[in-house]
Amino acid sequence: MRRALDAFYRLGGALSAINLTLIMVMIVAQVLSRVLDELLTWLGLSPLGLNVPGLAELAAFMLLGATFFGLAYTFWQGGHIRVTLLLQRLPQSAHRIMDILALLSAVAITAFAAWHSAWLTWDSYDFGDLSIGMVPVPLWIPQAAMVMGLLWLLVALLDALVSLLSGRIAKLHDEAPQE
Amino acid sequence: MEMIWMSLLLLVLLLTLLGAGLWVAFSLTAIGCISLYFFSNVPVGDSLSTAFYSASVSWELAALPMFIWMGEVLFRSRLSEEMFSGISPWVGKVPGKLLHTNILGCGIFAAISGSSAATAATIGKMSIPELTRRGYNKNQILGTLAGSATLGLLIPPSIILIVYGVATEQSIARLFVAGILPGIMLMLLFSGYVMMWSLLNPDGIPAGEAEHLSFRAKLRRSRPLIPVMLLIIGVIGSIYGGLASPTESAAVGVALAHFLSWKGGSMSRDTFISGLMGTVKTSSMIAFILMGAHFLTTSMAFTGIPRELATWINTLDLSPNMLLLALTLFFILLGCFLDGISVVVLTTSVILPMVQAAGIDPLWFGIYLVIVVEMSQITPPVGFNLFVIQGLTGENILRIAWAALPYFLLILSAVVLITLFPAIVTYLPSQMGR
Repeated sequence: MRRALDAFYRLGGALSAINLTLIMVMIVAQVLSRVLDELLTWLGLSPLGLNVPGLAELAAFMLLGATFFGLAYTFWQGGHIRVTLLLQRLPQSAHRIMDILALLSAVAITAFAAWHSAWLTWDSYDFGDLSIGMVPVPLWIPQAAMVMGLLWLLVALLDALVSLLSGRIAKLHDEAPQE
Repeated sequence: MEMIWMSLLLLVLLLTLLGAGLWVAFSLTAIGCISLYFFSNVPVGDSLSTAFYSASVSWELAALPMFIWMGEVLFRSRLSEEMFSGISPWVGKVPGKLLHTNILGCGIFAAISGSSAATAATIGKMSIPELTRRGYNKNQILGTLAGSATLGLLIPPSIILIVYGVATEQSIARLFVAGILPGIMLMLLFSGYVMMWSLLNPDGIPAGEAEHLSFRAKLRRSRPLIPVMLLIIGVIGSIYGGLASPTESAAVGVALAHFLSWKGGSMSRDTFISGLMGTVKTSSMIAFILMGAHFLTTSMAFTGIPRELATWINTLDLSPNMLLLALTLFFILLGCFLDGISVVVLTTSVILPMVQAAGIDPLWFGIYLVIVVEMSQITPPVGFNLFVIQGLTGENILRIAWAALPYFLLILSAVVLITLFPAIVTYLPSQMGR
């Protein structure tokens, strides 16, 4: 179970990384083709016009994917920031209780956000909403990625909560593997 | 007047959540939910999902992971080891000698990494042992490091300026360009102070350090630094010249950084993956905070608090300078326990309408805010950079804060300077095309 969960978070991180890599490669290809075209025009040749239509929107959607798929991975790695200045001064038992309270709030907020994002996605699907731009993209696709990312995070939060409550770990991110 | 109590209540609640250790992004979202639920008729869930969605789909924001990635790659290359030997031949004869390697090294590394904690850790790891071994004054070593590391926030490409630009819908390109002169000014202030200090305290600087190297020999020493400098100048230059948007030049920067790292022999499968996964972590973290901040901003707009506050400030008839003074104190207080990015997103949600109502240029305010946040990172007795240097040296935090105090005052004088002469910030952006 433990290993399956860890692999699950790694998978999210990998999806996020793939999105980032694709954004980078797409933009670099776009810039290169623009430079090539300018060069050809300068030489008096006709430009190739290798433009990726709607690249900016596509990159924006992939950024959403990169962010949301990365949320759970980032949490698992202890990457989301919080103020620990006061917590560190508390005795171990009080620290643990504060961690549990923080996790409970985080679970509530994430579940609430996921539920309403799911409705948003369903409405977009139902109405057939399209993005306004060069290449119309059905909005439910990026929105579904958002719901998935939030659910992914919810799993990670619940996992941490259970681990703390059962006493398997004494503190949050006690066992966060460094990668 | 009721509004004032309401906003105070929300502020206290937010600080409580943050202090209790709830993650920053969740704290912002929670306050957004509470203020919408109690102080407006808007459905909370719908606004939440719409705000999260619209805050994450953004072409401008794509510059953020790209610049983080570029920094991660260069950070893992051998660059940081070569920083010291690359800079030292040039400063051997200047009063203060190798102390300037801290300032210049931080300046260059700041341009790469955009994080002041990373800058302090990376430069300090090499320079503290080296300068101590050579007998430099300990206070000056710690002070120059603590002070100059904060440059990471200002010198473009700066992560925190991207955050400010996205949160306030200001042009990131113009913000970057606006940060250039104040960044150089701060470096000059720091270097000038080191020179004066070392002329007044000659025993703090070891004698007979200067190596006599020809210009070409010096160039050879710093050869590893040159491609990186060219990369940074190229990235900033193409933004300034309007050749590429920040996102485009950042993506090209990532590709070139990989190329440089590969040529320098430090690129392997492991460094590629750890750089990429480090980027995932940092950019997801910041993007999540930005989502929370965007939701808080829209909730606040629905409650009408920022508008009311702006009107209230207007009735007080404060001069803009008085308002800035009050804000500076407030930010220094926040900076004691919050990191820079959180301070910036909090500000933009509530304070920006007030600032604009007072007739302050939001572009200028962005630079002002970043410099004040820089200052708050080394405010005695607590500040993020102070903790980093404590971790690095094991010195008492109060001693580090004492050593950093002159630099705190120098940054403060920089704030005064850009307030008296706003052109330091606005001149370069006004010269940009379009």
